[in-house]
Amino acid sequence: MSLYRLDAMGVTIDGRDLVRGVSLEIAPGECVALAGASGSGKSLTSLTPFGLSAGTITGSAVLEGQDLAGLDEAGLRRVRRASVGFVFQQPLTALTPHRTAAQHLTESAMQAGGARPDRNTLVAMLDAVGLADPAIRLRRYPHQLSGGERQRLMIACAIAHGPRLLIADEPVSALDAHLRAEIMALLTRLRRETGMGLLLVSHDLASLEHHADRVLVMQGGQVVEAGAAQAIARAPQHAYSQALWAATPSLKAALPDDLHVPGAPLVEAQDLTVRFAGNGLFTRPVTAVDAVDLTVHQGEAVALIGGSGSGKSTIGRAIAGLGPVSAGAVLWNGARLPARRSLEQRRMIQPVFQDPVASLDPRWRVSDIIAEPLVHLRPDLTSWGRAGLVKKALQMVELDGALADRTPAGLSGGQAQRVAIARALVAEPQMLVLDEATSALDPLVAVQIVALLKRLQRDQGIAMLVITHDLALAAQFCHRAAVLDSGRIVEQGPMAQLIAEPQAAMTRKLVAAS
Amino acid sequence: MKRIALPAAIVALIALAALVLPMLLPWSHDAIDWDHVRAAPATAGHWLGTDELGRDRLARLAVATRITLAVALAAALVSMLVGVGWGMIAGWAGGRTDELMMRIVDALYALPFMFIVIVLMVVFGRSILLVFVGIGLVEWLTMARIVRGQVMTLRHRPFVLAAEASGAPVRVILARHILPNIAGVALAYLTLNLPGIIMIESFLSFLGLGVQEPLTSLGILVKEGADDMDVAPMGLQVPGGVMVTLLVCLTLVGERLRDRFA
Repeated sequence: MSLYRLDAMGVTIDGRDLVRGVSLEIAPGECVALAGASGSGKSLTSLTPFGLSAGTITGSAVLEGQDLAGLDEAGLRRVRRASVGFVFQQPLTALTPHRTAAQHLTESAMQAGGARPDRNTLVAMLDAVGLADPAIRLRRYPHQLSGGERQRLMIACAIAHGPRLLIADEPVSALDAHLRAEIMALLTRLRRETGMGLLLVSHDLASLEHHADRVLVMQGGQVVEAGAAQAIARAPQHAYSQALWAATPSLKAALPDDLHVPGAPLVEAQDLTVRFAGNGLFTRPVTAVDAVDLTVHQGEAVALIGGSGSGKSTIGRAIAGLGPVSAGAVLWNGARLPARRSLEQRRMIQPVFQDPVASLDPRWRVSDIIAEPLVHLRPDLTSWGRAGLVKKALQMVELDGALADRTPAGLSGGQAQRVAIARALVAEPQMLVLDEATSALDPLVAVQIVALLKRLQRDQGIAMLVITHDLALAAQFCHRAAVLDSGRIVEQGPMAQLIAEPQAAMTRKLVAAS
Repeated sequence: MKRIALPAAIVALIALAALVLPMLLPWSHDAIDWDHVRAAPATAGHWLGTDELGRDRLARLAVATRITLAVALAAALVSMLVGVGWGMIAGWAGGRTDELMMRIVDALYALPFMFIVIVLMVVFGRSILLVFVGIGLVEWLTMARIVRGQVMTLRHRPFVLAAEASGAPVRVILARHILPNIAGVALAYLTLNLPGIIMIESFLSFLGLGVQEPLTSLGILVKEGADDMDVAPMGLQVPGGVMVTLLVCLTLVGERLRDRFA
């Protein structure tokens, strides 16, 4: 007997069909996953039947014998209150900042009309989602919890009223790699224990094989492939599913053996320390980077791996000359770089940032964006000379020259990141600092960007400092890796050695999770 | 997007009428028609009648609207220039410079400005220039705070960092990356400032401290109208109505601009 069932369900917004003909069935205790790139309609499919998106549904959506399509807003609210729980991607924004964990849980437990839970019940709820020290955590506010703890709290809230169906929209995408596996395991345990159905929206394909029963692969609002999770994960049939799975980096894949051979040391960070002063009253000074030694050789790609808050971006900025340095030094070809770098010193190290859209000035045209470093770093060039180099840079990142006249709003995420890379390359630097340069992109687009970076490394011999939380991704094109934990490098070495014989606890966690 | 066209069109219409009407009317705002003192509306070519000195009310209304709008616009521009400059420097510099500059703003906020303007008027005599100075002194403070906040958020955006990595000097970053991206917000708050400035100017004029005869402003007309509203209620209603319409429409335009940019 099915718990939740979609029959040829579609979603329309303003007369446009964004999702068409989705059929699925979830039995109690079962997990069905929706996979696909962003914009494929996964979230709309999961949320619209419950009135949580701007769209309206066509076809039928039946939860425990009740057709959701015919319900008005009040009816949907009753269904959400009584039988459905929701977990969202960003636990920090989904929790109310001024309410404690206990207040969140109490509200959620009472939403279906239950009695006010006593303290022991609340403690038991947090215990069930694997939060350590539940009695203490109850008094905490969301900002006092770590990312993983927040997501556990959110799951506890979502199941506090005993829902029959849990909708989890990208529940682990915002978490560090080593936390993802834990949260997925928690969701699996909970649904098995309580017999609750789970509709999972995810692009973390690697985990679906173990944590979902069935998978629906969506593209452009339609299901292109559906079937048992293991079958799809091991042998996807549809071309799009194959591309999607091939795009998921995994440590099982062989390491590349065609990397550029590194030369002499190019950049050395010696005893690099960055402290942020507190204001003395409410915040204490924080040591974000603690005596880090790091070397990048000519033509070498070094991965700097760590969770959020580990100080990896701060190191990147310090090396690129864009952030403060409290102590220690950054050496370039053996000579110390001053705090105020000359134009020539700036030209050598160029950054690429995580959010491709935010890293392009929304009011500039693509050609002006790419030409900007030339205007300042190559004052010898005429505007003709600049135009030529901009064209060359566009070719180098495989972008159509016709895009040069657009503004960033007219670019896709992948195109925008290529423009950002072109801007970094145009002044012919010897090193790129890539700060999570692929993590805001769809997996299929990220693969292309990685391929581009690999080619730049091979053809141009550009050194790279690759800042990432994704070990499997870094393994595809990095010679060496340094693992960061709380501002210190806990382990560094050649990629293959790090993966085969991880020494530090943090590295072992990362390898296990990838 | 909410509709911005209607209130903007009304403001434009009022401004246009204020500009054009004095040229079309046979009376100037200070010409006295000895034959028709305190004339009722629509007598002898005086569509809105004349006041107690025999001056054409419509001509005076047009000139008053013109002066009020001009004072408001000039004061708002001055406040924007000072506020944007101050806020950009404070927001970009950060640290102690920012502290010092914003504490100065706080200190100025704390002064009772209407009182100071009145004192200035009494000491230096009544001039329209002092009205500008007084209003400008009050109004740039809010703009500075808003701009500073905007600059601080833009300061750490990747595209600004990328410009720094490109070797762009600070003045170029401020002029070409920061300023264009705060222009929308600054414009919205400039428009939102206008009604406030009109209110201050009208208040000063109402007290007799603002614009001086023979020039006139909406505040003066409202005061004159209030003086004999028992006899000629339209003398209060018409300028009052124009002023309220202007205030409401400008506020609507400003709020909708703000919704779009901020």
